[in-house]
Amino acid sequence: MASRTPSDDGAEQGAAEQGAAAQDPLRPDDHRDARPAAREDVAQPRLGPLGYLRFFWRQLTSMRTALVLLLLMALAAIPGSLVPQNTSDPNGVRQYEIDDPELYKVLDGIQLFDTFGSVWFSAIYLLLFISLIGCIIPRTLHHARALRARPPKTPARLSRLVGYQRATSAADADTAIEEAARLLRRGGYRVERYPVRGGTSVSAERGYLRETGNLVFHAALVGVLLAVGLGQGFGYTGQRVLVQDSTFTNTRAGYDSFNPGRFVDGEGLAPYSLRLDDFTSEYTINPVNGKVQAEDFEVFASVREQGGDWREERIKVNHPLEVGGTQVFLLGNGYAPEITVRDPDGNIVDEGPVVFRPQDANLSGLGVLKVPDGLAEQVGLIGFFYPSPFGEEGGPYTSVYPEAGESSLLTLQVFTGDLGLDDGVARNVYLLDTSEMTAVAGQDSGTAALELKQGERVELPDGLGSVEFTGLKRFVALDIHHDSSQTWVLVFALLAVAGLLTSLFVPRRRLWVTAVPVDAADAGAGSRIEFAGLARGDDPTLERAVEDLAWRHREQLGDPAPEARAEARD
Amino acid sequence: MKRLVSAVGALAAALLLAACTSGGSGDLVESYTKGDAGGGYISGDGSVVTVAVGDRKPVQAYAGELDTGAGFDSAELEGRVSLLNFWYANCPPCRTEAPDLAELHEQYEADEDVVFLGVNVEDSAPRALGFAREYGIRYPSILDQGDNAVQLAFAGTVAPNAVPTTLVLDREGRVAARFSGIITDPALVSTIIDDTLAEGD
Repeated sequence: MASRTPSDDGAEQGAAEQGAAAQDPLRPDDHRDARPAAREDVAQPRLGPLGYLRFFWRQLTSMRTALVLLLLMALAAIPGSLVPQNTSDPNGVRQYEIDDPELYKVLDGIQLFDTFGSVWFSAIYLLLFISLIGCIIPRTLHHARALRARPPKTPARLSRLVGYQRATSAADADTAIEEAARLLRRGGYRVERYPVRGGTSVSAERGYLRETGNLVFHAALVGVLLAVGLGQGFGYTGQRVLVQDSTFTNTRAGYDSFNPGRFVDGEGLAPYSLRLDDFTSEYTINPVNGKVQAEDFEVFASVREQGGDWREERIKVNHPLEVGGTQVFLLGNGYAPEITVRDPDGNIVDEGPVVFRPQDANLSGLGVLKVPDGLAEQVGLIGFFYPSPFGEEGGPYTSVYPEAGESSLLTLQVFTGDLGLDDGVARNVYLLDTSEMTAVAGQDSGTAALELKQGERVELPDGLGSVEFTGLKRFVALDIHHDSSQTWVLVFALLAVAGLLTSLFVPRRRLWVTAVPVDAADAGAGSRIEFAGLARGDDPTLERAVEDLAWRHREQLGDPAPEARAEARD
Repeated sequence: MKRLVSAVGALAAALLLAACTSGGSGDLVESYTKGDAGGGYISGDGSVVTVAVGDRKPVQAYAGELDTGAGFDSAELEGRVSLLNFWYANCPPCRTEAPDLAELHEQYEADEDVVFLGVNVEDSAPRALGFAREYGIRYPSILDQGDNAVQLAFAGTVAPNAVPTTLVLDREGRVAARFSGIITDPALVSTIIDDTLAEGD
């Protein structure tokens, strides 16, 4: 963690506040002077409450703290993927509560089931925000001043600096400096002429882009955080179970479940319809362990927008369909046997596919059919569908393969009584509440559950009517996402990378050239020239840059080389 | 294999996630936490939205098949005020409000200028007819679950955002009012129908 103490903090602040009066007020922040070792015998000044506030603020806005917070945020997000979250998997949370009520209480107490909305997670990212912004703003102001500042005065003794070189030139001092300034300007330096003792000089600085890149990088990080945060607020996700030959329309009512972001009211969703035309699946049996493996799923769908025509689309695993600003993912699939229910006179009271929710990998499905109107009393059917049944006559059965065929079996228990649909209270479509009903087939009714293969028709008990298993359709469960922030996140991420690369590879450096007439009294007889540079931050190529400048300068002025140059120059 | 199992799990979860939302996802979780799992559909919050004449958006033409077996085209509604009720037979609130709708329809049955129409979002013709018989509803319903032509036409701005939803359309077929969820006040519906009839007179 930060090892700064309040005392030297004050010193830094002082240095920063002296501004133009300081020796080098525009020292970039990426350049760190060596700190004098802390001394045991120095008593630190006592800080008042304001002093402490300032101290904590400076701690918070230091880059190190930001990095630590970023790491903490990554760590804090881990529980979000270890335990089910209320926002994405409420069933998982309920299941967790059922499986382990004790642990659930503890984890719920520390908000682990709402990780991303929890107090501690929010604290981390809010602190990170404050830290980043509190760091960026002062640096930006500082950098803006630096951008407008002139290069610093030429130091009195260049010989102490990097890559120091001396040369003599036939040209007079002014011409030499003029030429040096021209060369430096061409190399992207900002130049300024300063007189020095006995002659003249040019001071040059370049690489402001380095700090700009650094700031862009940090600002883009904030941008990414904001885009993700806001994007979740403006996005929505929903699920829908869709049976073959039926259609989903992107309105709130079209969803089975809908999770809008904070700023979404569910109005004005992009209008489109999606029809499930067909669904194919391929399975193989793993020769090693004999287990069934899904090879491939493919959804054949049609999509249309308002005023448009149907167009064919496909969805495959990991290849969502993009339509109307949403991405449609395949979440699951199963069978929807078509069941026709008739009254005792043979009039159809209900027909159509019934979703049988898969209970295992071989797609044994559990389904519910409620027939509220048209029969002597309300009838509820609950049963299983076995694509490839296996078991003794009369059950129990299991499915041994997920493909359906001739042998596919439907077993139904029959209940009569009150389906609970008439008291206005919402009921789960996929569950049958039998508390107000009597079993007439299956369970404890004394009558066996109905068993049907495709094309078979059986009478319901008590002369209620009959059921027929007329056909088989597929259904898919779709997961539909709308996330408007993806583009923004990408843009900011690219900006961050560009900024980072710039700040890493653009050198920030200063170069000086001084020229003193050989004989001060006789200008024009030639001059002694000195070259040197100073790195700002990390700059391994500085020495070569100075050498390069000196060499070019000689070339331009047509001066003889001081000694043969070993390296070839390109 | 593992992926398949997790897909099955996710599917089961998605199917089980049948909750009643009357607001944000917080309510979804809330209703789930309380264990009063909803119905695998989004039920309404009982809110009423009326749209001023100047703000109404034109609705594209749509066609469909009625539970009576006849065809239907939105052109039939032109020049008349219409009430569209989005419903399906196994939705408890739809069953609760059905007698009120039957009564409202009776009130306007003689009026050539008012059309009542159901839009069934889920059922086959026999089931829709069984429901109508059960509650004495004498207006037909479009069977919309096959191609969602009606739902798509009204999707977007003032969309049916719950089941049931009742829309009142003006003489140009544009949405004048929307009742999300169960109709709690039939008198309000007839007031809005009357106001819409009186527009432009």
